[in-house]
Amino acid sequence: MTLFLQQLFNAAALGGVYALVALGLTLVYGVMRVPNFAHGGLYMLGAYFTFAGLTRLGWPYLLSLLVAALLVAAIAALMERFIFYPLRDAPHVQPMIAAIGVLFFMEAAIAHPRVFGPEFQTMPSPINTIVNVGGVTVTGQRLLVIAASVLVVFGLNYFLKRTLTGATIEAMSQNRQGARLVGIDTNRVGMLTFAISGALAAVAAALIAPINLVSPSMGEVMNLKVFAIIILGGMGSVPGAIVGAFLLAFAETFGGAYISTDFADVIGFAVLVLVLALKPQGLFRRSA
Amino acid sequence: MLEIRDLNVKYGHFTALRGVNLTVQSGEIVVLLGANGAGKSTLFRTLSGLQRPSGGSATWNGRSLTTGRPEVNVANGVAQCPEGRLLFPELSVEKNLRLGAFVHRRDASGTARELERVYELFPALVEKRGAPAGSLSGGQQQMVAIARALMARPQLLLLDEPSLGLAPLVVEQVFQAVQRVNAEGVSVLLAEQNAFAALGIAHRGYVLEGGQITLDGPQQALMTDDRVRSAYLGV
Repeated sequence: MTLFLQQLFNAAALGGVYALVALGLTLVYGVMRVPNFAHGGLYMLGAYFTFAGLTRLGWPYLLSLLVAALLVAAIAALMERFIFYPLRDAPHVQPMIAAIGVLFFMEAAIAHPRVFGPEFQTMPSPINTIVNVGGVTVTGQRLLVIAASVLVVFGLNYFLKRTLTGATIEAMSQNRQGARLVGIDTNRVGMLTFAISGALAAVAAALIAPINLVSPSMGEVMNLKVFAIIILGGMGSVPGAIVGAFLLAFAETFGGAYISTDFADVIGFAVLVLVLALKPQGLFRRSA
Repeated sequence: MLEIRDLNVKYGHFTALRGVNLTVQSGEIVVLLGANGAGKSTLFRTLSGLQRPSGGSATWNGRSLTTGRPEVNVANGVAQCPEGRLLFPELSVEKNLRLGAFVHRRDASGTARELERVYELFPALVEKRGAPAGSLSGGQQQMVAIARALMARPQLLLLDEPSLGLAPLVVEQVFQAVQRVNAEGVSVLLAEQNAFAALGIAHRGYVLEGGQITLDGPQQALMTDDRVRSAYLGV
């Protein structure tokens, strides 16, 4: 029972992080209709910027996280402007290849010996308290991950559902031509959506990095997982991304705990294959 | 006044519109008759700034409509209710309407007033205001599409095939609404295959065939023209 509860906390924290990264990816896909393979790169940059703020500049954790989120948001918006926007009318394979190129470029830049270097690094944990919840010991950082990701998801939901700017993102993903006809500047919405996706990825990375290690290739691993998640949930679907994220996190964590840690990733992707075999459109199929 | 002069539109090597001249005076309802593929929707897309012409000009009250920025055209008073409606299917009816007023987003009270007006024009939408637009019947979706265009407070309403796929009774309701909107001072350019209903409410009309205007004249002249009667009225 203790093991179960322990794993429950682990899975919730992992699911929260997956959800933040997957939400950005699914929003961008909904608006641009292009899978952003560089998304994992934004996640990785978020981790390194936070790391740099904490260790090199000696900033407090929260400040490092916020600055990292802003920087990555700006980079994501520039990426839209200078890579995806010029390729908007090109065959889909071109922006996809360009995005992979950007991912490799980011990795190479970070892995450069004069920047951060290729090796794994440990981010100092900002919260060292250990909390006892019903006989289960949970690190303060994990609780922070869970609380922060829930907060951000609710904030995002409020933004999308209750503000006009948020509505323009949903409108554009549901009918791009219709959005242009009512006078929505789809270029601005595209940049904004990229910026949000970058900020979400950076926040997720800043939250989980003190638990895991940071490395230049961390984005590639995350890429695989979040693409699996949004395929699982339905490409472009917001609730699909959230449900998919927690489904994958629970399958991985419990599979790892009760069967074998070596199989954690295998189990996650087995769930993906199973869902797609039964519901090829993903769990939350989009109408139209 | 809408003034279209020598308008040419090409898709690659295909010429969709050739030398189109057309005007809509302030306060008029002008109907544009034409079969599928005649170029009606291309003309409308061009007037909304979604399609750049290869030659010629289109202006509304002297302002160019061909700058390639749809949001500028909407802000200048030209709104389109497109063929196929292009609603936001998962958003509520009211959110669709509010997004129609996007260019007036800094004027909340004006938008609230306009919302009341369109609900008065289409009372059937009031009880559906919270429902996803995609869940409505075809006729109600058409009403949402027209109402969404009106939310932009246009001076010129471009209506592309509003009767497509609707039951005759609903078509009548939609056309009555168009007449009411026009009576309140909005000029209307109406593209239709349903020539009989459209000519019934129009002041003047044009016939578009193969991307060219082949005939134009006042309502009565078109109603009695043999070519129009055989090709579009089925008599």
